[in-house]
Amino acid sequence: MLKFVSKGTKFLKAASLISIITFSTNTFTHAEQLNVEKDTLKFGFIKLTDCAPIVIAKEKGFFEDEGLQVEVIAQPNWKTLLDNVINGNLDGAHMLSGQPIAATIGIGTKAHIVTPFTMDLNGNGITVANSIWEKMQEVDSKLNTPKPMHPITADSLRPIVKEILESGKKMQMGMVFPVSTHNYEIRYWLAAADIHPGMYTVTDTGGRTNAEVELSVTPPPMMPTVLEAGSISGYCVGEPWNQQAVTKGIGVPVTTNYDIWKNNPEKVFGITSEWAQSNPNTAIAVTKALIRAGKWLDETKDGKLVNREEAIRYLAKPNYVGADYEVIKNSMTGTFVFQKTDVRELPDFNVFFKYHCTYPWYSDGVWFLTQMRRWGQITESQPDSWYHETAKKVYRPDIYLKAAKHLIEEGHLDKSEVPETDGYKMPTSDFIDGIEYDGKKPLEYLKKHKIGNKS
Amino acid sequence: MLKYKLIKTLDIAGLKVFEPIIRLAYWDEPEVQAKKIFLFIIIPILAFLVFLGLWDFIAPRHTTKSGEVPTPPVVLKAWDGILIFHNRENQKMADFTLSGEARKNALLQVEAELQKIEETIAHSDAKLAELKNTQEAMVLKKLAPLELEFDQKSTEFNNAEKLRDEALKAFAASIAADDKTAKLKLLEQVKQSNIKKDQERVFLNTLKDQMNSIRSFVYKPAKLALSENSALMAERQYLLKRKDLLSDDNRFIKVDDAKEKLKEKEDDFLNSSGSSLLVKAKSVIRGEESILRIEQSNYAKPWTFLDQIVRSLGCVFLGFAVATIIAIPLGILCGLSPVFMAAMMPLISLFKPVSPIVWLPIIFIIVGGFIDDPEHAIMHPAFISSALTVALCSLWPTLVNTALGVASIEKDYLNVAKVLKLGFWSRLFKIVIPSALPLIFAGLRISLGVGWMVLIAAELLSSSEGIGKFVWDMFNNGSSETFAQMFVVVFIVGIVGLFLDRLMIVLQRSVSFGSNPSGL
Repeated sequence: MLKFVSKGTKFLKAASLISIITFSTNTFTHAEQLNVEKDTLKFGFIKLTDCAPIVIAKEKGFFEDEGLQVEVIAQPNWKTLLDNVINGNLDGAHMLSGQPIAATIGIGTKAHIVTPFTMDLNGNGITVANSIWEKMQEVDSKLNTPKPMHPITADSLRPIVKEILESGKKMQMGMVFPVSTHNYEIRYWLAAADIHPGMYTVTDTGGRTNAEVELSVTPPPMMPTVLEAGSISGYCVGEPWNQQAVTKGIGVPVTTNYDIWKNNPEKVFGITSEWAQSNPNTAIAVTKALIRAGKWLDETKDGKLVNREEAIRYLAKPNYVGADYEVIKNSMTGTFVFQKTDVRELPDFNVFFKYHCTYPWYSDGVWFLTQMRRWGQITESQPDSWYHETAKKVYRPDIYLKAAKHLIEEGHLDKSEVPETDGYKMPTSDFIDGIEYDGKKPLEYLKKHKIGNKS
Repeated sequence: MLKYKLIKTLDIAGLKVFEPIIRLAYWDEPEVQAKKIFLFIIIPILAFLVFLGLWDFIAPRHTTKSGEVPTPPVVLKAWDGILIFHNRENQKMADFTLSGEARKNALLQVEAELQKIEETIAHSDAKLAELKNTQEAMVLKKLAPLELEFDQKSTEFNNAEKLRDEALKAFAASIAADDKTAKLKLLEQVKQSNIKKDQERVFLNTLKDQMNSIRSFVYKPAKLALSENSALMAERQYLLKRKDLLSDDNRFIKVDDAKEKLKEKEDDFLNSSGSSLLVKAKSVIRGEESILRIEQSNYAKPWTFLDQIVRSLGCVFLGFAVATIIAIPLGILCGLSPVFMAAMMPLISLFKPVSPIVWLPIIFIIVGGFIDDPEHAIMHPAFISSALTVALCSLWPTLVNTALGVASIEKDYLNVAKVLKLGFWSRLFKIVIPSALPLIFAGLRISLGVGWMVLIAAELLSSSEGIGKFVWDMFNNGSSETFAQMFVVVFIVGIVGLFLDRLMIVLQRSVSFGSNPSGL
């Protein structure tokens, strides 16, 4: 207790010190604005709560502090968003982590996209229809309590999948995009319980070869509707669409991606390599504003996130996420409703700044590459070096570090908030199946899994 | 005479329904007029009222999982919400460029409003908390007996199951190896036990469903208070943003700041020498550039529904113009030459039924190929694609009608032309086109109608700013407002479509002489 108090006061002191610095250097900040090459920008986003850093940077005036006027435009789906960035309709966008990588190596549309900024960690969930949940409870009676033990694996789903297979059909589930984190997460969750989610092959771009559960693409906002219509029995999607299923009473979120992999990278801010080359200062300025937004979103006082309420009010505006305040509030303030009787505190459900999350880690890029290989989206086996080179092509910590340096000089950021690293996170086994991932050894990692390509 | 002038104007404006009112005012066959007024004005109004009444009656009786079907007042409120958003964004844009006294006054006003709203919010917060507590208490009260029953029943069932299992076990153990009848009986008993178990589970699940539906009970006053509270919060945020835009974030304030700093830099530059001079010179130039940039900056306003309606209209007219430019010459050629008509027939029949949803992606890719730098293109590629899709889908009625109009010119006219030895061009402009005009315009009217319908789908797919994108965005929002906003769109699209149709009627009337095409 005593320790906690002293820590608290220290924190307060530090905070007030920072605010003094910020205040005194504010005049300086304005004078030394970066000489941006382009000052009116258009950024795209998909209506998900994790677009928050872009929205906050705009609404709190962080972009304006950099001399940028930014229009933030909702996009109908991930494909259109990517196309708009590639053809120049948009200067940059809120992207799935897999998108810049896939575009760069030519899965789908080929274009060299880079990212100087990771927008957030976690934030997805897997929801199953009520009927499936009831069956899972029958299979595993431990689930049949108001507050079942977490994490819930797909073990109790396996007999149901087999039963459907025996009747000559396949269970259908939804995810949002072929190279989305959601696709890899739901595959990981299923495969960890020995359910085959299907392989991509040269001829099968739908990824259903050998599948026991077939996955299909549905845009996030359509998920609850499609689940209600019965075309799919479950889905993996970002917020607020899991909470929406609970609110509507049509499904039960069984797990979050925090349980599948603790603090997994989720969205990035993507720009084309060409754009970054011709607008180097603008890229730094944008990154600066986004880092500040991330920090603002994760600001805490006495362990509580203090700015989230305000952020949710912005997000609830119809030109941003637009869902009801109450619905967005659940996950964004760190609570998650699994069932009406099962409301849990998940303080790390959305991480926007903590754990050095905004830094563009090479190891994150390598993980996505391993998943693309594991499920056959990358059709040929590649050496270790290829994984590292590709990740380095896409992730651009150089831009991030320049932005961070400016922010430290201006007093908006503390030195300790920028990692000193070679770009690879420490090996971790915080996965639902406990398999260890070391970003430096992608091929070794591939071999550890039972289902999927092993090299 | 004024009366006839008025009647003629109404006729040309396509408002013939109001003619009886004028006639009645002049007491011209009052009985006939009264009858007409009843038939053409009173009955439609009554029908509309009945429609509204039915809607108002049926809607709340059907609840979907996305909430109640909105009633007319709810839809009207959603329209207000759309207007509020529009006005607020425009106000913010205006605030950004406000200067001098006006800015100061506006700032004072905003601050006063902010103070006032804080009080209201405090009050509303208290009320909301109270109502939420009431709701919770109500739910708990209703839930308690069911929960009790659930617990009792599930232990009861559990015990019963255990007993059954034991009995079965005992029975199974007692059966001799060759006692076939007893074995069959065992099978039967196991079956019965399973059926029993299923029944019990169904019973418990029904109870669970009941409990869940009680848990999702919404106490109306609490819901109302919540939406009121949300609106207040949104207003506060809006006022806070205005305050920023009127003070630190205001364009003129920013320019002033930058100028002041530039002056400091300039002084510093003039007073220094040596190695740092170049750096300082660069910094001065950068300061100057930054002032220029701020002076030209604009508030990045999001698209609002009203802007989107205007843009949709622009898009439909562009597409319509393109369609007209293609369809009329082609139609005339088809009408004039049977050979050309025969040549065109397969193409027309092939492309006419193709849906806009098929055209759009194709056009999108093609247009994208022409435009490398959308930033500096005159028109946004998505806008051009939507317009071209409209053109491709709407040119057919005009084309076919023009061909028909040209082909069915009275032979006498053409004979006269022959006698007068008119050349091709004068025959075309003096005889062919004028006599085909009524049919051409009838075709154009259909084309515009088709174009307007197609446009919404095209915008929805291409995410070109417009009504279609609004629909998609609001659907994606999935908020409690969504449903009502969709209804607003239905009415707006309908009303705009109606006006477009009227417009074409007026044009049609003004070119057709003698004949009297249908008025409605």
